[in-house]
Amino acid sequence: MSFTTRGTAPAFRPRLALRRLFSSTFLLGCFIAICVGVVLLGALVIEVVVDGGSVPFAPPSAASLPDGMGWLAWAFPIAVLTPFLLPRLAHRRSELAPPAFAALCVLSALPAAIFGHLIYVGFEDAYYVKTGGHIFDLLSEATAWQTFRIVLVGLLLPGGLLAVAWRGARRLRSPSLVWPAVILAAWGFYLFLEPGFLSSPPSQSPDRIGIFPALVGTLYMMTITAAAAFPLGIGAAIYLEEYARRNWFSRFIQVNIANLAGVPSIVYGLLGLQLFVRVLEFDRSVLAGALTMALLVMPIIIVSAQESLRAVPPSMREAAYAVGATRWQVIRHHVLPYAFGGMLTGNILAMSRAIGETAPLIAMGALTFIAFLPDTPTDDFTVLPIQIFNWVTRPQSAFHEVAASTILILLLILLLMNSAAIIMRHRSRTEW
Amino acid sequence: MSQQPLAPAALDDAASQRSQVASDAVGAVIEAPRPGQTIEAVHLDPTRSAVRHELPEDVELALALNNVSVFYGAFQAVDRISLQIPRNRVTALIGPSGCGKSTLLRCLNRMNDLIPSARVEGHIRFGELDLLSPKIDAVDVRRRIGMVFQKPNPFPKSIYENVAFGARINGYSGDMDRLVEDALRRAALWDEVRDDLGKSGLALSGGQQQRLCIARAIAVQPEVILMDEPASALDPVATLKIEDLMRELAEDYTIVVVTHNMQQAGRVSDFTAFLLAGEERTGRLVEFGPTTEIFTNPTDPRTEDYITGRYG
Ligand SMILES: Nc1ncnc2c1ncn2[C@@H]1O[C@H](COP(=O)(O)OP(=O)(O)O)[C@@H](O)[C@H]1O
Ligand SMILES: [Mg+2]
Repeated sequence: MSFTTRGTAPAFRPRLALRRLFSSTFLLGCFIAICVGVVLLGALVIEVVVDGGSVPFAPPSAASLPDGMGWLAWAFPIAVLTPFLLPRLAHRRSELAPPAFAALCVLSALPAAIFGHLIYVGFEDAYYVKTGGHIFDLLSEATAWQTFRIVLVGLLLPGGLLAVAWRGARRLRSPSLVWPAVILAAWGFYLFLEPGFLSSPPSQSPDRIGIFPALVGTLYMMTITAAAAFPLGIGAAIYLEEYARRNWFSRFIQVNIANLAGVPSIVYGLLGLQLFVRVLEFDRSVLAGALTMALLVMPIIIVSAQESLRAVPPSMREAAYAVGATRWQVIRHHVLPYAFGGMLTGNILAMSRAIGETAPLIAMGALTFIAFLPDTPTDDFTVLPIQIFNWVTRPQSAFHEVAASTILILLLILLLMNSAAIIMRHRSRTEW
Repeated sequence: MSQQPLAPAALDDAASQRSQVASDAVGAVIEAPRPGQTIEAVHLDPTRSAVRHELPEDVELALALNNVSVFYGAFQAVDRISLQIPRNRVTALIGPSGCGKSTLLRCLNRMNDLIPSARVEGHIRFGELDLLSPKIDAVDVRRRIGMVFQKPNPFPKSIYENVAFGARINGYSGDMDRLVEDALRRAALWDEVRDDLGKSGLALSGGQQQRLCIARAIAVQPEVILMDEPASALDPVATLKIEDLMRELAEDYTIVVVTHNMQQAGRVSDFTAFLLAGEERTGRLVEFGPTTEIFTNPTDPRTEDYITGRYG
């Protein structure tokens, strides 16, 4: 009997592979659990909030897909999952050869591309081109701008999937399955919706109702809020953490920021009403709402960005200073890249707070019934929470059902944003 | 012009550019002040007089400390230390933990500026400049006086980026690949990493990381390299490599190394300064001179106690 360490090495391989196999099965289980959970959550809300729940929801029969496209209901999940699972299952030890993998991705992305078209066709269908949802009719009648956007959606989605799948397969690491799980959960949810619910304007009759303007208004407002709040908030955090002297003034500001984070949101609404709506005369526009929201979430962004700056190890700063870096060079090349993941996480969490805020917008007098889309930042608008508020205050129970499904959509957006935050936090921890 | 710029020294002709510091008498650290300079003469207070051995005739000085005191808030960590650091030699700072070795070392490249509560008094002469003068930009000082830390702290970037960063931010316009290779060769790391310069610096072993940090310091082409217990986190084999490296580097650089390992000080250093803190935890210089004399013929009984292992 000789004591060579080499002889024992191969014995470990099958066990490793088994563990991988187990972990992919485990992840698949998690994924199924998430899907079931989302569906159950939906059912629960319907049960609790309304009884019956027949209007905005169709039985799980892919009602939202056009005729003859029902196969997509299962084809799409398969397309999303194959690039993730195949390398795990078939090649236990390493990834697929890159060309084979690329081919697999392209093949499986084809249905995804069709799906991308469909999402868009849904919107276009309701608003511009009344063709009954046939892609080729649509494309032949679409304007150049519409075609461009259709192709963009059709390419972006599979492109994004491909990129995620590529990383996932190269690393064989657990987070890579989270994205397809989230996408599929959203897809499963979408299949439950009455056709046109996402893509129609609100209406006086509950069975033709839709949330398109509110959905677009929410996305519009969040974009402007983010554009205003991120740079300012992160800049303020950098100043306070890295440049400001520690004296009574900076302590005073610090305490005030912490306090501002706790100010009731209705107060921000009144501030926005006076400052943006009246003094600056933005009226009840997307811009006024977005800037009010930016004020509201700024303290959260600043505090979380400061925390991620503080988490940068002092030894790294010292190392950079010791090779003759200036303060700004240290911040730019070392501190910010290190703190970036944490900052992004904080930003997303701040956004998910803003997306659900209702009080400040109501205080500002945002409209509750909007049947058109905001074109410019100074147009009137409405957002999902206000739409929900409006429907809940109606006496007819049919509107309550609509409100319930809108709540589900809002929750789903929140879920997406928060899982993005979790993934980013995880990533910034493991890669640095 | 509020800050006095330091001339950038190229690697090759750096030696000729470095101005000489006269070392006429031991104890009298700095020659007569030039116009525009206020460097006080050393007042040797008998209560704090340290034993100073003769330095050999042929040494040139790289740095001369004159009455350097460091305070952290109200606490005085280092009390009026005066000593000379000879050029292209290894000078060791020894003494028990907490006697202010790191604090003193960090004065030499103005790292204490980064600690808000720290305050440094006295003068440190570097060429014709007084490093501690507020007129001098600490960033320039750190370009010319590099540092290697106790715990290896490579940037979480590729090996290449780790080495190239310092040169790049300092406006190096030459062949970066060659500079990186040179620095890694000088740090005795090139053969181990030549094939994966794109790998993260954090993926290296502890000893390799420390040599990467040395390469990073070299790449900025400093004149002096400060090392704060560079081997204390390493295993004996890696420690030996670092020590060999120090000896090699001393041909071109002035090295100041903090260590509390007696054998290491004996092996690598040419000159040794022994610091000790009293009851109030304020560090003072006890004895300074050529390493051989400090180790074989210590004058102060406290030095002898420390070298023979009677302190911790
Ligand atoms: N940043 C700091 N703030 C306050 N006191 C410090 C700081 N750094 C070191 N000290 C104190 O200064 C003294 C000397 O520390 P140091 O220079 O690290 O000693 P050594 O390196 O010799 O072990 C110690 O008493 C220590 O507590
Ligand atoms: Mg120390």
